[in-house]
Amino acid sequence: METALRSALGAAAQNITAEDFDAIVRRHQRRVHRFLLMLLRDPDEADNLTQECFLRAYQNRSTFRGESSVETWLLRIAANLAHDHARSRRAGFWKRLLGLDGNDNEGIADKLVTSEASPERAFLAREDARAVWDAASQLSQQQRAVFLLRFVEEMELNEIASALGLQVGSVKTHLFRAVQTVRGRLRNLR
Amino acid sequence: MNSNDNTHGPLVERAVVSFDLAAEHHMAGCQPCQAERDHVENALREFAAANREYTTRPEDFWEMQAARIRAARTESDTRSRITMTLVPSVVVLLLAAFAILGRAPSVRPMRSAVPTAQIDADHELLLEVERAIQSDTPRALEPATLMVEEGDGTLPLDPALQNKETRSHEN
Repeated sequence: METALRSALGAAAQNITAEDFDAIVRRHQRRVHRFLLMLLRDPDEADNLTQECFLRAYQNRSTFRGESSVETWLLRIAANLAHDHARSRRAGFWKRLLGLDGNDNEGIADKLVTSEASPERAFLAREDARAVWDAASQLSQQQRAVFLLRFVEEMELNEIASALGLQVGSVKTHLFRAVQTVRGRLRNLR
Repeated sequence: MNSNDNTHGPLVERAVVSFDLAAEHHMAGCQPCQAERDHVENALREFAAANREYTTRPEDFWEMQAARIRAARTESDTRSRITMTLVPSVVVLLLAAFAILGRAPSVRPMRSAVPTAQIDADHELLLEVERAIQSDTPRALEPATLMVEEGDGTLPLDPALQNKETRSHEN
């Protein structure tokens, strides 16, 4: 399926049918949305930007050369959209003013599904997850994007580099800083 | 050395970020670093699980989103189709407008044609006068001539007047 879509996009991107593109949407929308939601922490914006991401992908399908996977290409568009969104000071200002800032720090820990048997261990695991979440909040958006793609999406370093338009060395540097911040948070917790 | 005052920190980060031979070699012989690494990796796993749970949506949500994307794509297609149709039409209209404006200067000489027409009219008038002169009697004098002719029936016109008329005709 993926190969067919890649060849459809790569070989004759302009001739891609509506059905082909709908299949791409259905296949990748969850991951794109999850990435944007983790990055922005705003469900409404994540939803809007997911829609925008696929629309841009459709409008610019002729630029896809098949050098990376469709998913990497989509995540790159999503990361650019998130970057542009973050730069929009006006949106941030009004959201903060209206108290709509999506930093749902409490919510993430409540969603924790843990296999820990004892309540005490479950509590500690929840605290750890919250500490990582807090640490991720301190990172720059690019560092956070790298961090999330690596540890939540479990992407390879070269895939992350391709998705974010970075060198693999830069990805490693960002990850090193991110893990250092996480470790500092965890250390403070104990 | 416990995990809180681990001095081999960077090696833990290096081991967590990606495979690093030096870090792995160190971990094999350093229990605190190994424990620290396990702790960080475990926290990251919990974080990833919590994130996946946090971002989970019901199936309806995805269907609605896909439908909105489809609608936006259709609208985009329609808009680009309209643009593709409108652009040539606008270009044709502009070309037609330029063509009309380009012809406008050639209309201007028509203004100079008006005097020509006037000249023609004057010429016609002159010809008419000439025809009248060529006839025996200027039309303006025709009533008087008739009266004279009625008087004696044979009297010709005044020769001086006739000569004058002839001269003017010669001229």
